[in-house]
Amino acid sequence: MTDLTGRAAGPEVGSVALRIEGLSKTFGEHTVLKNVDLAVRHGVVTCLLGPSGSGKSTLLRCMAFLEEHDAGIITVYGEPLGFAPKPDGGRQRLPNAQVARVRRAIGMVFQQFNLWPHMTALGNVSEALKRVRGLSRREAEARAMSVLRRVDLADRAYHYPSQLSGGQQQRVAIARALAMEPRIMLFDEPTSSLDPELTGEVLSVMRHLAQEGMTMVVVTHEIGFAAQVASDVAFLDKGEILLRGLAKEIFAKPWHPRLADFLETYLDRGAAVLV
Amino acid sequence: MSWKYFELLALGAGVTAIISALAIVFGLAIAVPIAAASLARNRLLHRLGRSYISFFRGVPLLVQLMLLYYLLPGISINLPNTATAVVGLALCTAAYQAENLRGGFLNVAPGLVEAARMVGLGDRQILLHIRLPIAFRLVLPAIVNEAILILKSSSLVSVVGVSELTRMAQNLSTSTFKPLDMYTMAGLLYLLLNWSIAAGGLGLERALHWGRR
Amino acid sequence: MSLDLDLMIHSIPAALRGAGITVVMWIGGGLVAFAIGFLVALARRYGGRWVRWGLAGPIEILRGTPFLIQLFLLYYGGPFIGLRLEPYEAGFLGTSIYGAAYFSEIIRAGFEAVPRGHVEAATVLGLTRTQTVARILVPEMTLLILPSSINMMIVLLKETAVLSIITVPELTLVVTAIGSAHFAFVEALLLLALVYWGIVEAASALGRGLEAGLARYRMV
Repeated sequence: MTDLTGRAAGPEVGSVALRIEGLSKTFGEHTVLKNVDLAVRHGVVTCLLGPSGSGKSTLLRCMAFLEEHDAGIITVYGEPLGFAPKPDGGRQRLPNAQVARVRRAIGMVFQQFNLWPHMTALGNVSEALKRVRGLSRREAEARAMSVLRRVDLADRAYHYPSQLSGGQQQRVAIARALAMEPRIMLFDEPTSSLDPELTGEVLSVMRHLAQEGMTMVVVTHEIGFAAQVASDVAFLDKGEILLRGLAKEIFAKPWHPRLADFLETYLDRGAAVLV
Repeated sequence: MSWKYFELLALGAGVTAIISALAIVFGLAIAVPIAAASLARNRLLHRLGRSYISFFRGVPLLVQLMLLYYLLPGISINLPNTATAVVGLALCTAAYQAENLRGGFLNVAPGLVEAARMVGLGDRQILLHIRLPIAFRLVLPAIVNEAILILKSSSLVSVVGVSELTRMAQNLSTSTFKPLDMYTMAGLLYLLLNWSIAAGGLGLERALHWGRR
Repeated sequence: MSLDLDLMIHSIPAALRGAGITVVMWIGGGLVAFAIGFLVALARRYGGRWVRWGLAGPIEILRGTPFLIQLFLLYYGGPFIGLRLEPYEAGFLGTSIYGAAYFSEIIRAGFEAVPRGHVEAATVLGLTRTQTVARILVPEMTLLILPSSINMMIVLLKETAVLSIITVPELTLVVTAIGSAHFAFVEALLLLALVYWGIVEAASALGRGLEAGLARYRMV
C-alpha cells in the first residue's frame, strides 16, 4: 500500500503525481467538462487558466473529489480516486473510506477561505491534527503554531477569522491545509476574493511553497503569477483543454486564438508584465 | 396597590417563569429529533417531521392545551394541571424550535463542510464540531425569540387551571374589583420577565462572540 | 370515544356562525391592524423625534405582554375608564391594536429594507417626498413584507381562538360549547384542531403562491 502522507523518500520531480484520463462532468443538462486528460507532475506548479465557465474550478474540485466525475479515472500517485477501472472497461465506485484515504495526500485552499468562524486561527489549523491524527491538544497546537509561523501569522494565532483581513484568513487557510502534510496542494482561485492590496501576501506564500518543491495545482486569474511561478500550464475553454505544456513556451508564443484573446483581456486589466 | 396583592402576583409570575423555562428546555429537546427527522433523506421520517411541525404550528395553542387537558385522562394518563400545561407548551414550541433548528442547520455554509472534508474530518466529527456549533450560534436569536413567545403564551394555561400570573390576576381582579390595577401589574410583570430573557439572550450572544463585538 | 354523526350535522349551522365571527375578527381585525400599523410606521419614519419616542413605548408594551392580558384589560378594565364594550367589540378592538403593534414593526423593517439608492434616485430625478413615498417606497416595501405579513395574518387567525375566553362567539367557543353540552370534549376539540389546521395550511399555501407569483418584481 502506498504511503500517501510521507514525503521523505518521494517520487522524482517531474514524475506524475496526479493523472486524469477521460474525465467528464455534467451538471443536469450542462456538460461542464468533456473528456479531459491531464498529467500533473510531482514537485512543480501546474496552473489551470481559462475564462469563466471554462470548467477549471470544476476540474480542480474533481481532483479533490468534492465533485464526483461522471466518466474517466483519476489516479493519485498510482491510486485511483473515487472510481477504479474495471477489466470490462467500466468503472467501479470505491467506498468512501478509500476516497478519504487517497484524499489524505491532497490539501485544498478555497476561494472563500472557508475558515471555521467559531475557532481561532490556531483552532482552525490544529483541529484536524487533533481529530484525524489523534494528537494531543498540546502537540497539535505546537505543530499548528509552527505551520502558522511558515505563513507568517504566529502573532495572530488566537484571533478569530472575523478579526483577520482577507489575506490573513487565506494564509491561515493555507496553513490549515499544510498542517496535514499533503503531497499535493490544490488552490481554487485563492486570491479572487481578496482586495488587490492583499493578494500579494498570499501569492508570496504560494511562491515560497513552490520553491520548497510542493506539488501545486492552481486555478487563478493572476497571469503574472502563473507566468513567473508555474512550470506547467493548461488552458481550458468550454470544458476542454485547448492547450497544455510548459509555461515558458505557452506564454512566449500563445498561438491559439482563444488563449491570445484571454491573455489580452487579462493583460488589459493590469496584470503583471510577462517575463 | 397593596403590597400583598403584588406578592401574590409575583408568586404567579414565578410560576409562569418556571413553567416557561421547563417548556423551553423540553421543547428544545423534543425539537432536535423532529428537526433531524425533517432533514432526513428517509421519506417517512421526513414526512413525519414535517407533519408534526405543520400540525403544532397550524392549530391554536389554546385548542392544543384544551385537547391535551381532556385527552390525557381519556387514555388513563392523569397528570397534575401544571404538568399538562408544561407538556402542552413544550409540544407546541418544539414545532417552532424544530423549524428554527432546521433553518440554522441548512444555513451552515457548505464551503465550511467541504474544508472539513478536505482536512480529513469524518462525517460524525463534522456534524459535532463544525455544523452543530455554527448552527446553534445562528439559531440563538430565534431561540431567544421563541422563549419570549412561550412566556407570553403561557398566559393561556390559566384556562386549564394552572395558577400562574394571568390566573392570579384574574382571581385578584374579581375579588378586589380592580381589574385595571391587577391586569396592568400583571402586564408589567410579563414585560419584566421578557426583558430578562432578552438580556440573557444578549449575554449569551456576546459570550459566543467569535471575535465580533 | 364515539363520533355522533347526527350531532355533528346538527351542529353545523352553529359552527358556521362561529366560523363567520372568526373570519370577521381575523380578516377584519387584520386589515384594520395593518392599516393602523402602516400609519404608525409612517409616523415613526417621518414624524420626528417625539413621535418616534412616544410610539415606541406602546408598541413595546403591546408586543411584550400576552394578548389575553390585553383583552382582559379592554373587556374587564374598560368599564372603569368609561369604555363598556360587548365581547365582540372588545375582541375586534383588541385584535386590531395587538396586530397593529406587530404590523408597524414589520412595515418599519420593510421601509428600511428598501435600498436607500432607490429613494435617492427618485429624489435626484425630482420626485417630491410624497411621490417618492407613494410611487417608490410603498410599492417596494409591500413586496418585501409580503412573507412576514402573511405569517402575521396566520398568527392572528390562531389568536382569534383566545377571544373565546372573553366569550366572543367565534369558532372555538361555539364548538367547545357544543362539545361540553354533549360531553364530547375530545371529539369537538379534535375537529376544531383539524379545521384550524386546514385553514392555516390553505392560507400558507396561498401565501406561497402569492410570493411565487410576485417573484418577478423582486431584485435577485
